[in-house]
Amino acid sequence: MRWRGLVLHGLLAIAGILCLFPFYWTLVMATNSTSDIYRFPPKFTFGSQFDDNVRAVLENVAFFQSMGNTLVVAVSTTALVLFFDSLAAFTFAKFRFPGRNVLFVILLATMLLPAQLGAVPQFQTMAAFGWVGSLKALIIPAAANAFGIFWLRQYFQNSIHDELVEAATLDGCGFLGVYRHVALPSARPALAFLGIFTFVASWNDYFWPLIVLTNPDHLTLQVALSSLNRSHGVDYSMVMTGALMAMVPLIIVFTIFARQFIKGATEGAIRG
Amino acid sequence: MTLTAAAPPKQAPRTANAGRRRSIWSYWRFYLALSPFYLIFLVFGLYPVASTILLAFQKWDGLGPRTMVGFQNFGFLIEDSTFWLALWNTIVLFFMSTMPTLAIAMALAVMLHSAVRLKGVYRIAYFIPNITSLVAAAIFFAAVFSTNFGLINAALRGLGLPTEDWLGEPWGIKIAISTMIVWQWTGYNTIIYLAGLQAIPTEQYEAAKMDGAGPLRTFFSITLPQLRPVVLFTVIMSTIGGLQTFTEPQVMVGNNGGTGQSGMTVVMYFYNQAFFNNDYGYAGAIALSIFVLVLLFTAINWKLLGGRGRS
Amino acid sequence: MELSRRTLLAGGFAAMLGGTVVGCSSSMDTGSTKKNAGGNIALWCWPGGLGKSVLDDTIAHFPDQHIKYSEIGGDFKQKLLTTFNGGTSIPDITGVKGEDIASLLPQATNRFVDLKTIGADSILGDYLEWKVKQATTLDGKVIGIPIDIGPTALFYREDIFTAGGLPGDPAKVAEQLKTWDDFLAAGLELRKANPKAPIVADAVDLYGTIISQGTSRYIDKDNKFVGDQDHIRKAWDIAVKAITTKVDGKTLGGSPDWNAGLDQGTVPTVTGAAWVALDIKAACKTSVGKWRVAPTPSGPANFGGSFLTITKSAADPAAALEVIKYMLSADNQAKAFADAQIFPSAPAAYDKPQLKAADPFFGGQVPIEVFGPAAKSIPIAYEAPLDGAVAVPFSDGLKLVQAGKKTSDAAWAEAVSKAKQIGKRQGVQ
Repeated sequence: MRWRGLVLHGLLAIAGILCLFPFYWTLVMATNSTSDIYRFPPKFTFGSQFDDNVRAVLENVAFFQSMGNTLVVAVSTTALVLFFDSLAAFTFAKFRFPGRNVLFVILLATMLLPAQLGAVPQFQTMAAFGWVGSLKALIIPAAANAFGIFWLRQYFQNSIHDELVEAATLDGCGFLGVYRHVALPSARPALAFLGIFTFVASWNDYFWPLIVLTNPDHLTLQVALSSLNRSHGVDYSMVMTGALMAMVPLIIVFTIFARQFIKGATEGAIRG
Repeated sequence: MTLTAAAPPKQAPRTANAGRRRSIWSYWRFYLALSPFYLIFLVFGLYPVASTILLAFQKWDGLGPRTMVGFQNFGFLIEDSTFWLALWNTIVLFFMSTMPTLAIAMALAVMLHSAVRLKGVYRIAYFIPNITSLVAAAIFFAAVFSTNFGLINAALRGLGLPTEDWLGEPWGIKIAISTMIVWQWTGYNTIIYLAGLQAIPTEQYEAAKMDGAGPLRTFFSITLPQLRPVVLFTVIMSTIGGLQTFTEPQVMVGNNGGTGQSGMTVVMYFYNQAFFNNDYGYAGAIALSIFVLVLLFTAINWKLLGGRGRS
Repeated sequence: MELSRRTLLAGGFAAMLGGTVVGCSSSMDTGSTKKNAGGNIALWCWPGGLGKSVLDDTIAHFPDQHIKYSEIGGDFKQKLLTTFNGGTSIPDITGVKGEDIASLLPQATNRFVDLKTIGADSILGDYLEWKVKQATTLDGKVIGIPIDIGPTALFYREDIFTAGGLPGDPAKVAEQLKTWDDFLAAGLELRKANPKAPIVADAVDLYGTIISQGTSRYIDKDNKFVGDQDHIRKAWDIAVKAITTKVDGKTLGGSPDWNAGLDQGTVPTVTGAAWVALDIKAACKTSVGKWRVAPTPSGPANFGGSFLTITKSAADPAAALEVIKYMLSADNQAKAFADAQIFPSAPAAYDKPQLKAADPFFGGQVPIEVFGPAAKSIPIAYEAPLDGAVAVPFSDGLKLVQAGKKTSDAAWAEAVSKAKQIGKRQGVQ
């Protein structure tokens, strides 16, 4: 048994190291200078250039302003997604109404449409709305998604007993009341997962913001950082430092909510 | 878990499904609750993709007038060897990245499920690749696979094995790209599988143990069948993502896909035709083909894994 | 239930159709000349495209114009095109990259102001003629004033050349490496002394340079495909010779191997535009002072170099032109060079002190002595809008030869047929 545990943890640890190694290397590069990146044998120890690199990033991009913008986008997108998706998922999971199955099949089918393909007309739509350059162009299109509704519907179906919904209705709760008092409290772990997923995706989104954000005061972090990646004479340590600085809030958010997610998932398992 | 949409709920609450026939308007709350998604999808999803596909029947350079050309773009597409190559690359890359990702993720999830300590630490470690910036990851992997100064070749040299010109060889390029995708998505799938594993009632395992089933038999006779809906979910999500691979090859081997265009995927080809050659009509035809491809693969997955998936 | 489904689908279809009509009509309106509001000038460029001090100075110099500068990251051309299509927030003045200008020329009349109609004639002569020609349509409209150019030179490691029995002094290198044949012969000699230092970094890159040294490319002025002719095949054969004589390092420019090799001597030469000096300097730590610059074998070529253009949306094109004139004067170009190695497109700038400075990175050599004459003798070649797309199969073919996957002749035949097919799609004969 002891040996089995050791082997198990050995394998898990190797996988963990492989996952963390590029992250560690980013740290190494952010504390060294660009020419150190291309040394052979490669350098694996921390250097002393971190302050210089951070200063270079702050000189070249409006880092904190962009981070503020990204925060606005990521928080509002996540809040809207959690609200709209859970409401729709709960409706799909626990109520019957005409057209329900058709609507759900349509929902599943929407996941098959590759979004990048519509970039050009989507930009024209934004221009027609007058949203080009505004953060609205990032938040509104992302405010509800099929993936989240699908994910939460599974959860609601398994974790909420129909009797509970009935009881709440008999107690005089309206539709919104049942949603608030029955659905939301029991869905916390699933919401935590969806929240993290949405927040990360929104934070790291690059393709669409790059197209639609034109106002230099309204850039998100990833777009602002992309200007560090000039076509010539790229200072890679600075790019890596910028990438690292942009990751810090994500790691914080993830660490906080991962706990919630772990706890919730276990609770859900016991109850289910 | 139920994945088939057509399956009616076993016991829908009577309150919401009263016996008498109700007017459609009495359901307004439900439609209102669903409306945000469908509205957003119509305006920002369906319309843009539909008009891209409409372009498939037109000729447009992105700025000048549009002219209808019927099926001409599809004629070009059939003759275009680069398109078929891109299609082949996409499918090969999809298998090379999705299969290891899901297999490793499943193995890790099962191990993690049986490990008692440090679960939280591992979980965070495994999720880190998913939140690492793609730019940083791309620079890292390009360095790992580089010919003279790369880590992999350094290791091969250390073991006395012949080195490889990874990013200059058609297969090397595919291996490098899929490695990066596996790295980025394994942890994410591990966590999903783990959540699925934790939902399996422990009594089932105890019963199997009483029957004297070994770990392997338990895995195949209890764990896997119970996880079927979760597996289907990850397979479908990986299919949709994998067939749309774009960023990883683009940042690793450039817009043209490297030697023998071995890293050129269909979405990259779409992107090149639209934004570099300004041949939006042709790009629209490629877009349509991507849609058909995704549809086809999803249908295959559904058939293979769906079937008995209803709980 | 049936009713609701049908209503929903019909409603969706109507919305979609409505959207489509709107989308079409806005983009059909190609001659969109909706003017921006007056009193402001919106200026777009990419990161590092304009010297920072020159930009600040220009904004301060025209207080009444309220110049609003936007630095556009990512794919600049894509963003410009989508903005044109969107029809709002189109800049008054925008940068256009050298590699994009050819494909935008067909749109000259719709989207850009012909600078000759607003009095640019008097200053066009201040800029290199071949460069202005790149922004000139076949019927003589000029849509851009050149910001900078990218004349090529041979950057090489003096220490590795002398250790390998080659001359080290730039004048002597120029003397001995007159043509690509000389260059490949020198490569053989160097290989004998130092097998780890192939003289050609990447044969595919070399091929691109040779093409740019010529006076005709893949498609001629009559929109005829000429990529199967001798001038292309000669360039191809030189590149293949580099591969077969094993003086090709197969090291892609900009890759980690290339960057590391520059400093460690496994990439002893770079044939590249003036701005490549920035990349070399960024990658080198131990080899500072060991690099030199010599003229490109077989004559100079040009890579990149961009333009400032005025869009049809500009509220006051004449005022915009004044801003451009000021920003791209010889004095300001010299400043931009000192700022960010933006190589001047106005020859008068080459005599300014900023360009005459000796560079310790190049062992105290004065690089302008090589780049100046090169800039003035760049060959003029017609570049068709589709040239870039048609060139791709050729470089891909060479990559396969380089990787040993195809013979030269087989790869050539395939490249020609693929290139023809791409051309055919766009109406090239």
